[in-house]
Amino acid sequence: MTGRAIGQGLGQSLGRFGAGIGGEIIYSFVIIICSLMIYFGTRELYKLTSHKGIKYFRLSFLFFAFAYFFRSFIKIILFYFDKKELITFLPIFGSVTLFIFMYFSSMAIFYLLYSVMWKKWKFKSTIYILHAIALIISTIILLSKNPTIYFITNIILFIFITFTVYISYKQSKKKKSQNLYIIYLMLFIFWIFNIIDILVPNFLQLFQLFIYLISIGIFLAIFYKVIRKTG
Amino acid sequence: MAKRNKLEIIKDILKIIQENHSIKPTPLLRKSNMSSSRFKEYYSDLINKEFIRETYGKNKKITLTEKGQRYLEKYSTIINFIEEFEL
Repeated sequence: MTGRAIGQGLGQSLGRFGAGIGGEIIYSFVIIICSLMIYFGTRELYKLTSHKGIKYFRLSFLFFAFAYFFRSFIKIILFYFDKKELITFLPIFGSVTLFIFMYFSSMAIFYLLYSVMWKKWKFKSTIYILHAIALIISTIILLSKNPTIYFITNIILFIFITFTVYISYKQSKKKKSQNLYIIYLMLFIFWIFNIIDILVPNFLQLFQLFIYLISIGIFLAIFYKVIRKTG
Repeated sequence: MAKRNKLEIIKDILKIIQENHSIKPTPLLRKSNMSSSRFKEYYSDLINKEFIRETYGKNKKITLTEKGQRYLEKYSTIINFIEEFEL
């Protein structure tokens, strides 16, 4: 291969990298910053009260920040090397990164659910069970390497989350909190789209911009609710 | 009368101390409207969390710390936040 060919290839790669990855970085950056600001913005409330609900709410956004960090990391590598799947491209590194991403993303959702449900789920080891489920989901995703399994796992997760949110809403004394449950449900739906976007490349490519914009909107809405209440 | 939750009980105890500037343990127990055993639990919790401190002069007295003061200032924010997110 001549020096000119290498130069051309590198130029094309950098051009593509700059165009597509810019949006990806901005998307992840906005959500990571929102999540971390929610986490650190509620630190004093937790330090003063040691309230379990506040604790799990904060942890949820810390885990969202980690999950989005790993998500953008995977996307940047795939984009840079022009590959579709991380595991086939880098088997060990890809498997570990995907496993960590799935674990953090599942736990982020579970922590958010638990922040609302902790008073009703009296069983003491619930949080350990949720960690175990997150680990099982991550392992299934890692070992199966089959899109059908990914879809089934995510559909089961979605049904469980929707059911829990619905029960929680029905039991809520404050009917004005309907907006909160709609925001949470949207967050769960679009988070699953984000997972599918990583696990099954090109499946949602047509709607990618739409998914990104709605996801940013959801995080900004939660962030706005937090700063409105915490000052 | 609705049952007070933990955060509300802490606020009530701290408020009594704040209103009296410093107070002896026995009047504090009486004004806090709790059983002696329950009061002891909250009392040691508040000492451990450094919301209150004991001062020893002629008598043992209880005063509010800066952290306790901050809790009272932030109390309505805390409650609004918990209610907003159904925590």
